[in-house]
Parts: sequence; C-alpha cells; structure tokens
Amino acid sequence: MRITLRAATALLLYLACASGRAAADTTFDRNVPAQPRGVVEITNVSGDIRVTGWERGEVSVHAELSAGVEQVEVSSEGGRTIIKVLQPHSSGRGGEAHLQVKVPKDSELTVSAVSADLTTGGVLGVQRLDTVSGDVTAELAGADVELKSVSGNLSLKGHGQPARLHVSTVSGDLRLEHGAGDLEASTVNGNLVAFLDSARSVRARTTSGDVRFEGTLARGATVDATSVSGNVTVRAGAEGGYAYEVSSFSGDIGDCFNATAERTSKYGPGTRLEGTRGDGAGHVRVKTMSGDIQLCDHR
Amino acid sequence: MTTPADSNGRKVTSLREMPQSIEPARDLWPGIEAQLGELPEGAASGGTVPARRRGQPLRWLAAAAMLASVALGVWIGRSLLPGTAGIGTPQVSANRTAVPPLAPTALDAAYVSDPRYAQQRAALVQALQARLAALPPPARAKVSASLAAIEQAKQDLEEALGRDPGNALLQELLVNTYQDEMRVLTDVHEASDPGRGI
Repeated sequence: MRITLRAATALLLYLACASGRAAADTTFDRNVPAQPRGVVEITNVSGDIRVTGWERGEVSVHAELSAGVEQVEVSSEGGRTIIKVLQPHSSGRGGEAHLQVKVPKDSELTVSAVSADLTTGGVLGVQRLDTVSGDVTAELAGADVELKSVSGNLSLKGHGQPARLHVSTVSGDLRLEHGAGDLEASTVNGNLVAFLDSARSVRARTTSGDVRFEGTLARGATVDATSVSGNVTVRAGAEGGYAYEVSSFSGDIGDCFNATAERTSKYGPGTRLEGTRGDGAGHVRVKTMSGDIQLCDHR
Repeated sequence: MTTPADSNGRKVTSLREMPQSIEPARDLWPGIEAQLGELPEGAASGGTVPARRRGQPLRWLAAAAMLASVALGVWIGRSLLPGTAGIGTPQVSANRTAVPPLAPTALDAAYVSDPRYAQQRAALVQALQARLAALPPPARAKVSASLAAIEQAKQDLEEALGRDPGNALLQELLVNTYQDEMRVLTDVHEASDPGRGI
C-alpha cells in the first residue's frame, strides 16, 4: 500500500512537471513567401532575435516561446513581411520569445525590441535596429545601418564596404570593426570604439564616455569628435593627409609627431594644437572640456 | 587667470552667482532727454545730415551681416549639429545663462530662449520618473547614470564658463550637452511608450 502511494505521488509530480514544461516551452514555425528586396519588420519585447539572410524568396520564422507570450503573428503582403510577438495586455510582465528569422538576403530589415538581444548576419539591405536595453550584434554590408539603443551595448562588424552608419545610444558602448564610409555615433556615458578601414566622415560625440577611432581616412575625409569629459584618441592615417585642429579647455593634448600644443590664453586654461599632415586634404577636429586628447597619423 | 568680481568686490566663480538683472542707481531718462533736446533739429527728427547719411549704408550692411550671421548660426544649430534635429534646439542668447536639465538653475530662462524647446523639455522632465519606472531595472540604472553624467557636465561647463565667459569651445560643448539631454529625454520617453509593450 505504501509503495503504491509513493508511485502514485511520483506519477502525479511527473505529470505536473511535464504539463508545466509544455506550457512554458511551446514552439512556433512558419514560412511565408517574400520578395527578394522586400521589407521585413520584427517586433519582440523580451528574449532574443536572430536574423540571417538567405538565398530563398521566403521568410522563415522559428520561435521558442515561454509562458506569458500570447502568440506570434506573421503576415506577408505587398513586399512587406511583419513578424510580431504579442504579449497579453492584462499581465504586467510577459514571457520571452526566442526568434530565429531567415529573410531574403537583400531584404530591408527593421527590428524593434525592448529587452531582447538582437543579432543580424548576412543581411545586405538597409538595417534599422532599435532596442531599449537589449544588446545588438550586427554584421554590416554595403547598405546603410541605423542603430538606436537606450542602454544596450552595440557591436558592429563590417567587411570594409562603404556605408552610412548612424548609431545612437544613451549609456551603451559601441564597438565597430572593419567599418567604412560615414559614421555618426553618439552616446552619453558609453564608450565609442571604431576601427574603420576607409572612412569618408566620422562624427562622434559623448558626454563622459571615451572615444577611440582607429583607421584610414579616404582622401578629403573629415573627423569631428567632441566630448565633455571623455578622453578622445584618434589614430588615423589618411590618403592625402589632413589638417588638424585639436583643442581642450583643461585636458591634456598629446600627439605622435612631436607637435606642441599651445595655450589659448595667457592667463587661463585651454590648449590648442593645429597643423597639417601630408597634403592636408582631409580635416580632423577634436574638442573636449576636460578629457585628454591623443592624435596620431598612423594606427 | 583673472576672476570677475561682483559689485561687492566678491569673487564670482560661476554664472549662477551673477544677478539676473541690474537696476540703475537713478533714473537716467531725464539726462538722456535733455541731451536729445540739445541736438540740431534735423538730427533729432532723423533729418538730413550729410556725414550721417554717408555712414548709413555701412550701418545697414553691418546690420544685414549681423542678421545673416545669426541666421546662419541658428541654421547650423538646427540642421547640422547631431542629436536633436527637429526637437527645438536651444538657442543661445547674448547673455550666456544656462538652462537646466533636470534641476532648473538661475541661468535657464536667458540661455534657452526658444519657448517651444522649453515647453517640450518641461513636459519630458515632468514625465521622466514615470517613464524611468517603466524601464527594465538594469536599463533604468544605466539611464539614471547617463542623466547624472549630463547634469555633471552641465555644472562643470557652467562653472568653467563662469571663469571664462567668452570661451567658444565651452559654449559649443554646453549647447551640445543641452542637445544630448533632450535626446536622452526623448529616447527614454519613446522607449517606455506603452505601445512598445514594456
């Protein structure tokens, strides 16, 4: 009798666990036809999103959903595919959705997330990625990328193909490798680190975060970096050289070509370094209030 | 470096310590009126005075150049500087007073003269706490740190401008910081929008 009771209890516990698992881990799969250069829009609040480009003319969605996610909606019409993870309206906190989405590689991609981490790879069209606190890892092609985050960290990797990159974060860090073309990046207290194979223009701005830019400037390129209290380091060679204007109110200015910064005022603080490297075809401007500045014409 | 002193001879280290306005010790108008009365009739009434007429085209040119400079500055601020395109960029007035992001300072009103900017900023600041509360806790902590960094930057810049009021570098960085503050407030507002499902 005692053994039968134990067996029944064990069976009940097993069934309870099994049903709980099934409710927490449902999966969703759907494929819809899509145009080769269509638009794909993805919305997910929490979890993660992985988007990859492929050769097929369809969008494939695979999702693992925890309890609390209401459903996944997928619609495709007129060259626009929309994927939405819906959370129940009544509950304060919904569940997580782990999305794996495959899109035609030339698609234009728009992703909006809250705390979901986002990864893209092999997408050749324009990417607009927007998160609140999720981290973003994106592979860049030759198309424009607009990336916006509140507190997520941003990691971008390119292949040296020129593109326009517009990156804005409040407190997240940005790391860009093998970028090229035009970069406009701003953060308040995150750090900006950019390695550009060939830059046409770089505009970087922080309040207290550090800025580090290393790379090669195309002929006539411009670099404009400002920070209030962050340190700024520019190590960039340039085809055709560049004229440079570096100034700081109370930070130190250093360089690797033995130029000497001069005081801007006989009585007050402030130093400035100006000059030309090579033909002076490009232009480098760096300004800080209290951050230190390092300028070098090679990496 | 010399430090300006106020009317009591006290050293002024920050713009905050300077008065908003200074009333003249006595009514100056009677003296001005008397001097106007001593001028030749034609001059007082705007009549023809050859020497003045010669100077007038130059004066108009100077006024036109000044207006063009102001317009160019406003256009650059609104169109070219990154961060707050279309949000109502703060306009820097002649007397360099500052405006406050989260805690208004005595310098606000004079620094930011665009009422649209002031209204939008006030609305965003008012809603800030509720919006922050809607963010995930780690994001909330990071954004709070960012707002504190902006606040600190503004204080540092204002203090530095108090020591060197004409410093163009500091003025530019202060404008940048106001723009960044507006961008953060707007981003937080959008990020915690109920439609995003937070």
